Amino acid sequence: MTLQLQHVVKKYKDFTAVNDLNFTIGTGEIFGLIGQNGAGKTTTFRMILDLQDQTAGSITWEGTPIKKINRDWLGYLPEERGIFPQMKVEEQLYFFGHLRGMDRTELKKEIDFWMNRFDLEEKRNDKAETLSKGNQQKVQLIASFIHQPKFLILDEPFSGLDPVNRDLLKNAILFLKEKGMTILFSSHQMDNVEELCDHLCILKRGVSLFSGSLLDLKKQYGKTKLTIRTDVHQEDLAKMAGVKEVKKVRDEYVLTLMDESFAKPIFEVVSNGSYIEKFSLDYLSLDEIFKEKVGGEHA
Amino acid sequence: MRKFSILLKQLYFQKLRSKSFILMTLLYVAAITVFMFWSDIKAIFVNEEDALEVAVVNETTVDLESIFNSTDDVNFSFPTESIETLHANVKEGNLDAVVLIAEENENLSADIATYTPLKLNDQSTISSLIQYAGKIYGIGNLNLSAQDADRILNSTPNVTMTNLNETIAGGKSEDEKQAGMWVSYLAGIVIYFFIMAFLSMITTDVATEKGSRALEMLLVSVKPSTHLQSKIFGVFLLALTQMAIIFGVLIAYVVFTDDGAKWTMVQSVIDELSITYVLYVLGFLVLTIFLYLIIGALFGSLVSKPEEASQVMTPAIMIPLIGFYVMLSGIGNPDTLLIKIFSYIPLTSGMVMPMRIGATDISAIEPILSFLVLILSVVACYLLSLSFYKRSVLTYSSGGLIQKIKTVLKVTT
Repeated sequence: MTLQLQHVVKKYKDFTAVNDLNFTIGTGEIFGLIGQNGAGKTTTFRMILDLQDQTAGSITWEGTPIKKINRDWLGYLPEERGIFPQMKVEEQLYFFGHLRGMDRTELKKEIDFWMNRFDLEEKRNDKAETLSKGNQQKVQLIASFIHQPKFLILDEPFSGLDPVNRDLLKNAILFLKEKGMTILFSSHQMDNVEELCDHLCILKRGVSLFSGSLLDLKKQYGKTKLTIRTDVHQEDLAKMAGVKEVKKVRDEYVLTLMDESFAKPIFEVVSNGSYIEKFSLDYLSLDEIFKEKVGGEHA
Repeated sequence: MRKFSILLKQLYFQKLRSKSFILMTLLYVAAITVFMFWSDIKAIFVNEEDALEVAVVNETTVDLESIFNSTDDVNFSFPTESIETLHANVKEGNLDAVVLIAEENENLSADIATYTPLKLNDQSTISSLIQYAGKIYGIGNLNLSAQDADRILNSTPNVTMTNLNETIAGGKSEDEKQAGMWVSYLAGIVIYFFIMAFLSMITTDVATEKGSRALEMLLVSVKPSTHLQSKIFGVFLLALTQMAIIFGVLIAYVVFTDDGAKWTMVQSVIDELSITYVLYVLGFLVLTIFLYLIIGALFGSLVSKPEEASQVMTPAIMIPLIGFYVMLSGIGNPDTLLIKIFSYIPLTSGMVMPMRIGATDISAIEPILSFLVLILSVVACYLLSLSFYKRSVLTYSSGGLIQKIKTVLKVTT
């Protein structure tokens, strides 16, 4: 394992921000850290980045305490957006690259590549403050990994991006993964997490509710999401055994089952004399699991 | 060290190219130019007036013509016409004044007749000449020989200073004190103006980086201590650059204008200064600027956005202002209790202690003690700032300075 957090605790005077946090991230893996605002995600990132000391526990990178590794192996995109407002885009990227020990030739190659990929070629000589919010975000993102770190942390990388730029970013993250970069990121958009992550950790008020693979998480809940397109009435579906909830979404019914085993009897009842256009049994989406796990108490 | 140098270069060249730095430097150069060429500039804007025409009528038996020498401002003549005719000339505007000098009860009396009142300067010039004439007249009445009269007028006492306090190694001459006073004022003014300009620069710079969140990205690869050091040394280098430009221009003006007359004057001041004194002044100057830069960086790390920088800077700006006024109060007497106290306070000693060293006879231990206090304060302030900086640069809060400090302590301990 590349990054390992063991029993990590961060306490302030009268408040525990992170409590007994444990997770591991494998080499070249994309790991999602999800939780509501104030769950302790940014604090966890800062502890991993050695920007804050943990109160207890250990954080290691390939067995070495994180404090002792070469800091140039790390890349970080903070949650709040911003770069040097007065500096030109290209100048900015050269500055961050030089700071991370890259020479001009290497940097030029990387900058050319990413400027082109993120459609920023024409903005090279513009001051950062003159760019749109989305473009500033792209420049900041490039600055965070221009030095090709081994481990990249992205705090809410998708927030504020339009769908086109979100796809650009998603593809870039997958590209970096292919190059062997280990990536840890947080997001409130669960579809992005579901699409990109191999493993994840759900935090609630500093406590880990789950840590492991996405599939394992889904298996915990089983295939309890049944989507039916039929002429059977909603009230009749709601009365069937094992049905917790029925929602009508456009021309379909989405049933939440108590257990996967109730699907078969439902199919038999519905198919008996009724027309079935669609009958699909799926795992819950991450968004639904998240709401169930985290949102319950707050809702 | 590599990262320190990259951060330092980035800050230095970015600020060096900034409009504010260029304008500020040009403003200083313009102010020096105006100061150095004030008489020429004044001549352009103020019409040159003709010299005052003053007729002197001497009714005494003593020869006074050699006393009333004409200058660029006053032209003295000694007409033989009657006083009535001369008064008529004054009325007609041919003369500006008539000075009638006569004997009265073995004393000299003078009457200055004008039609348009004289300007204060001209009146003072004429009055002082009349007073001198009075002395000559008085000596003449004593029937003294020319040598005796000369001895009375030109005798100067030979004053020596003896200090019985053994802790004070040799008193300074008046010239030395005068030179010390000039240099200490210069040092005080330099400290004051540079603190005002560069304290604001470092505070705003750190606040801007923090506010833009660029600091969070930087601190992943750079230790907070390296970042703090790069800010302090970067801004200090800028201050040195500006100082070099300003003093370069000043020295060029002094050396190459007035056929070197100003340079001769400056050299006479420099000749009176000891190496130890110059080293003290430089030491106090450098350390005081450093101390304020450390405080400025710390204050910058406390705010959440650059707009708040001026709010936290106010207390830091008030202190050099107080020091500056205390220094100015030393013009009359540089040996007051107030000055003695402020010469030991680290934030003001840089402005006040050089004055005490240069313009008073203080024991050698006092400046050493004050300098040590300043060194210790710089070190302590640096260590304290560093420890606080690590925690405050990533803490965002609202409220006043005290509230911000409280928040940092609350969320980081």
